[in-house]
Amino acid sequence: MESELRRVVDALPGLVWTARPDGHIDFLNQRWCEYTGLSVEQALGADEAYGQGWLTAIHREDLPELVERWRSILASGEPREMEVRLRRFDGEYRWFLFRACPLADASGQVVKWCGMSTDIEDRRRAEEALHAPWWLRSSAREHHFRSIGDSIPALGALMTPAGEVELVNRQVLEYFGATLEELKGRAISHSFHPDDRPDVLARWRESVETGHSYDFEARLRRADGVYRWFHTRGFPLRDTEGRIVLWYLLHTDVDDRKRAEALLAGEKRLLEMVASGHSMSGILEALCQLVESTASGCYCSVVLVDPSGTHLEHGAAPSLPASFITAIIGRPVNVDSGPCAMASYLNEQVIAADLTSETRWAAYAWCPMALAHGLRACWSTPISSTAGKVLGAFALYYDEPRTPTLLEQSLIEQFTHIASIAVERVQNDAALKRSEAFFAEAQHLSRTGSFSWRVATDEITWSEQLYRIYELDPAVPLTSELIHSRIHPEDLPFICEMADRARGGDVVDFGYEHRLQMPDRSVKYLDMVARATRDPDGRLEYIGAVQDVTERRLSEEALGKVRSELAHVARVTSLGALTASIAHEVNQPLSGIITNAGTCLRMLAADPPNIDGARETARRTIRDGNRASDVITRLRALFSKKDATIESVDLNEATREVIALSLSELQRSRVILRAELADDLPPVTGDRVQLQQVILNLLRNASDAMSGVDDRPRQLVIRTGRDEGERVRLTVQDSGVGLEPQGADKLFEAFYTTKSSGMGIGLSVSRSIIESHHGRIWAAPNDGPGATFSFSIPRAPKSVTDTHGLGVIRMPVTAARRVMRSR
Amino acid sequence: MMVIRSLVSVVDDDESVRESLPDLLREFGFAVQAFSSAEEFLASDCVCRTRCLILDIAMPGMSGPDLQRELTLRRKEIPIVFITAHRDETVRPRLLEQGAVECLFKPFSDTALREALNAAFRVS
Repeated sequence: MESELRRVVDALPGLVWTARPDGHIDFLNQRWCEYTGLSVEQALGADEAYGQGWLTAIHREDLPELVERWRSILASGEPREMEVRLRRFDGEYRWFLFRACPLADASGQVVKWCGMSTDIEDRRRAEEALHAPWWLRSSAREHHFRSIGDSIPALGALMTPAGEVELVNRQVLEYFGATLEELKGRAISHSFHPDDRPDVLARWRESVETGHSYDFEARLRRADGVYRWFHTRGFPLRDTEGRIVLWYLLHTDVDDRKRAEALLAGEKRLLEMVASGHSMSGILEALCQLVESTASGCYCSVVLVDPSGTHLEHGAAPSLPASFITAIIGRPVNVDSGPCAMASYLNEQVIAADLTSETRWAAYAWCPMALAHGLRACWSTPISSTAGKVLGAFALYYDEPRTPTLLEQSLIEQFTHIASIAVERVQNDAALKRSEAFFAEAQHLSRTGSFSWRVATDEITWSEQLYRIYELDPAVPLTSELIHSRIHPEDLPFICEMADRARGGDVVDFGYEHRLQMPDRSVKYLDMVARATRDPDGRLEYIGAVQDVTERRLSEEALGKVRSELAHVARVTSLGALTASIAHEVNQPLSGIITNAGTCLRMLAADPPNIDGARETARRTIRDGNRASDVITRLRALFSKKDATIESVDLNEATREVIALSLSELQRSRVILRAELADDLPPVTGDRVQLQQVILNLLRNASDAMSGVDDRPRQLVIRTGRDEGERVRLTVQDSGVGLEPQGADKLFEAFYTTKSSGMGIGLSVSRSIIESHHGRIWAAPNDGPGATFSFSIPRAPKSVTDTHGLGVIRMPVTAARRVMRSR
Repeated sequence: MMVIRSLVSVVDDDESVRESLPDLLREFGFAVQAFSSAEEFLASDCVCRTRCLILDIAMPGMSGPDLQRELTLRRKEIPIVFITAHRDETVRPRLLEQGAVECLFKPFSDTALREALNAAFRVS
């Protein structure tokens, strides 16, 4: 029976097995062993692993689930089934349905599990095939592809593993304007831009051969012949065996991005050219080329408005014939001479879509000229500066009638903007360079250098000219030590003190004169002014200018010497003019002496001698002799050339002496002199003889001014008095010809004279003397006839230097001139 | 018998001259009157009595030549001896031409003055 049963079991069309209640397999039929190629012993296992050997034939992936499920089946005591893959003798796994049923005794206790495993591989395959992705099922491909592919915003295609077109979406058909059959019939490379074909083919071939995904950018030719940039990605789709069953290609239109990128790169290149100071023509030419490569099919030109704003100048037009450019350049900027001239004139865009029907610019026959060059359309847009000034015009020409699209308009706007930046920048650069050149030239001419000094960092910046003044090499870094090495040793302590004070920030403006001592021991005189400023971060910075005043200073010194000489000449000249007066002055007492002496002798010789009379005449003789002696003493003082001597001077007394010396001359000129000398006049400190020289000059000047006056008294009033501000004033008022208005401020200049005789140095010398006394001298017309000359000097100036002394003449001169002009 | 002395008038703004010259002239035997200005002389009663006028050239106000012209206008033909401390050789011939007896440059000797006076009285 058992063997009979065994035969039956072995013959069953399935793999039959039994297990103990604990799940250990204890029987496997013949077919099981044949299928798995395992012996019964192997399948059952031995010792510890008894009943588990069969598990070695289960697919590893299915094993954990099988063990788990088998455990739950045992626990349930119910019949159950599961699907697992069982390894065949040849190693191939096939799906089997495992069914297990419990065998219970009378008491319901499970005593055995009986199982049968059936090969369900073919059914599984059929099911899988039914549930497989559409692309794995060629019949479903087209349906699925249409429903998905047509809805994506890109060109999609399915390619065969060999790389040939199998299916395309609607967008592809529309883009290429071809049917699927036509596409299948043409070489793939045919769709691409000729320049891109070799690369596209090579990459595609590589992908097809290696199965690597495809990723490349290239231009695809649209139905209308226009090439647009696409980014193409291709993915291989494989079956479970890893075989490529098809390629999925996705072309994304990146033309706008590519153009934007190219444009951006072009703009960047142009702006770099602008920034690195390329020539205007070079920049504009590159601009035109960029435009032409961006907006294909056009010819680009830039014309500029000349500086006077009246005519067009050449900018750039790399692709237009020279004869066309020559015909445009030089045309007047108005509405009639052409589209660019019109656009520049009106500061408005001018579109001439078809030149054959264009009626404008007939006066200049512009259209026939353009047509003769094969041009049919012209769009001209003004190029404006940021300030709104028209710099020129940017024009696009086409050899067919055209109106700009929105895209083209935005491109034009972009390029016009770049052109304006380029032109404006180049023009500004040129202006800046000119201005810098002017500045440098001005610094050079005026021998003025400028500097800045950042106090916190001690950073010093000098202009070129300042280096020149200091005779230092601009390449050598500036340090305080280096600068100090040039400063005259005597001035150095002063400079250092000044710098210390400036560093403290308590000096806003300062200016001083100092000297440089050059390596060859020569001395330069510098005049420096500086002002404190704060930079945006609030740090202290001094900005200043330094002027080399060496020549001026030396000529001042020379002038001072000349003045001094002139003063002497003037005195000598006065001496000549005064000889008569001196003689008169001396002859008067001499005359008295001689007459008295003669009288005396006669009185003594009389009989009887007139002793009393003789004694009287002798006394008078002595008195007249003393008078003569006094005159000589005064003259000696006045006409001796000696350096300034500083003493306390009673201006009244000095004036009286001058009057005494001049009186006879004044009388001879029939001048009536009145002296109104203040009683309480304080003494002044100064050079008595020099001051007397001034008074004498003023008296002679007044007297001369009245020499032609016969219709009124030749009245001369000399006054002294206190002046405001601890000063003493002396005025000489005449009734002469008065001042010439245009000569008023020249009066005190050397060699200016209104007299036919005279050297014109008297007043000039007078001014030098008064200014060396820190005083001022001026002239003013009287209410009535004549003029009044005055000088005012401090009672006790801090110091008085000789007329050729340094630093004293300069400022007072201008002060005196200001006084002169205001009267 | 009282000797009528001829009157010589001196017009000079210089005090030394007005002091010294009259004494000398009196020594010569003349009657003398001294005036400090031309105006003073003209205002005096001496104009008609003066036989000789010793006249300074440069004076404030009316000068010597001015006085000479004034006297000519008044037809008072008094011989004039000009004196001056201003030694200008061009002045002398001009004054002589205009009728002056002499022009003496200060300082002058008593002899020169005497001769000039002699000449003046010869004229008169």
